[in-house]
Amino acid sequence: MDQNNSLPPYAQGLASPQGAMTPGIPIFSPMMPYGTGLTPQPIQNTNSLSILEEQQRQQQQQQQQQQQQQQQQQQQQQQQQQQAVAAAAGTSGQAPQLFHSQTLTTAPLPGTTPLYPSPMTPMTPITPATPASESSGIVPQLQNIVSTVNLGCKLDLKTIALRARNAEYNPKRFAAVIMRIREPRTTALIFSSGKMVCTGAKSEEQSRLAARKYARVVQKLGFPAKFLDFKIQNMVGSCDVKFPIRLEGLVLTHQQFSSYEPELFPGLIYRMIKPRIVLLIFVSGKVVLTGAKVRAEIYEAFENIYPILKGFRKTT
Amino acid sequence: MAYQLYRNTTLGNSLQESLDELIQGSLNTYRFCDNVWTFVLNDVEFREVTELIKVDKVKIVACDGKNTGSNTTE
Repeated sequence: MDQNNSLPPYAQGLASPQGAMTPGIPIFSPMMPYGTGLTPQPIQNTNSLSILEEQQRQQQQQQQQQQQQQQQQQQQQQQQQQQAVAAAAGTSGQAPQLFHSQTLTTAPLPGTTPLYPSPMTPMTPITPATPASESSGIVPQLQNIVSTVNLGCKLDLKTIALRARNAEYNPKRFAAVIMRIREPRTTALIFSSGKMVCTGAKSEEQSRLAARKYARVVQKLGFPAKFLDFKIQNMVGSCDVKFPIRLEGLVLTHQQFSSYEPELFPGLIYRMIKPRIVLLIFVSGKVVLTGAKVRAEIYEAFENIYPILKGFRKTT
Repeated sequence: MAYQLYRNTTLGNSLQESLDELIQGSLNTYRFCDNVWTFVLNDVEFREVTELIKVDKVKIVACDGKNTGSNTTE
């Protein structure tokens, strides 16, 4: 009951600008467009492949995100004040759950005082019957982003392989040029159709920047390269829950989602339905999440699985 | 779009060690085309029992030793 007015210590980070990337911030609020700018926006297609422009555009996006985060913080503060008022008025010790619902779900309209700070928000529940749980305080780190882009013109792979640096081309084995750049550290597969796959980046912005750099290399070799339909296809994240997990127990109770064959692979493969993410869960407590198209799906999936994993903590 | 791309990205990722060399050591550039590897290295030491030769830049062109059959490049 003591934590009604102030943020619980584990959630201190959520109120700060640096905590903006944590799932605590109401990314799913209808007040904000889904993703609040943390997800790649469909960009007005600049055909110019200038890296400087790209970096400036990303900086502008970050500034916009910060402004949005400040607005969200103000909203949160208002909610806390309302919560404190209501709690003082005698609504029960549901405070932890309220805090949870207010940070993770829709915010009441600023300026209105809800009669009862209700957890019944319009947001659909993600998992059935999760007990009143706090946010895990653990943020999955992105490890790999795979994206595709169309350069919009046919390419002569042999020319590219011979003239570009750090390129490999072995048509007998694979029909694409494999090119790498140091910054951001990524690998690109460039096909003769003009389509390109960019892998290895650690963030959405880095993936886009890297793809633009590859496109510029191709452009400098004399091809009329454009930058069409950039799309992030897959995102991979990982984190550590810091306790061992009873995978056998988990596969028994979550049969319809899990598959665990220790003789084949030491991790349990959990296919979450909503969001549609595949998690690899290991005895050590390390978790790999993959299959996301946007960062929020990784965070959401982890917040869903964390209480379940806590329930299967190994006690020995 | 059939993502057979993903089956083949292991090819792209498995040679990440080339890039690691780039960062750690002296590998400046690499190229593989027509079954010929070309490397450019910086700050290299050639060490033989008696002699030590230091060099700022070395270009290595390497062809396959075995006879791998005809080249079918387009």
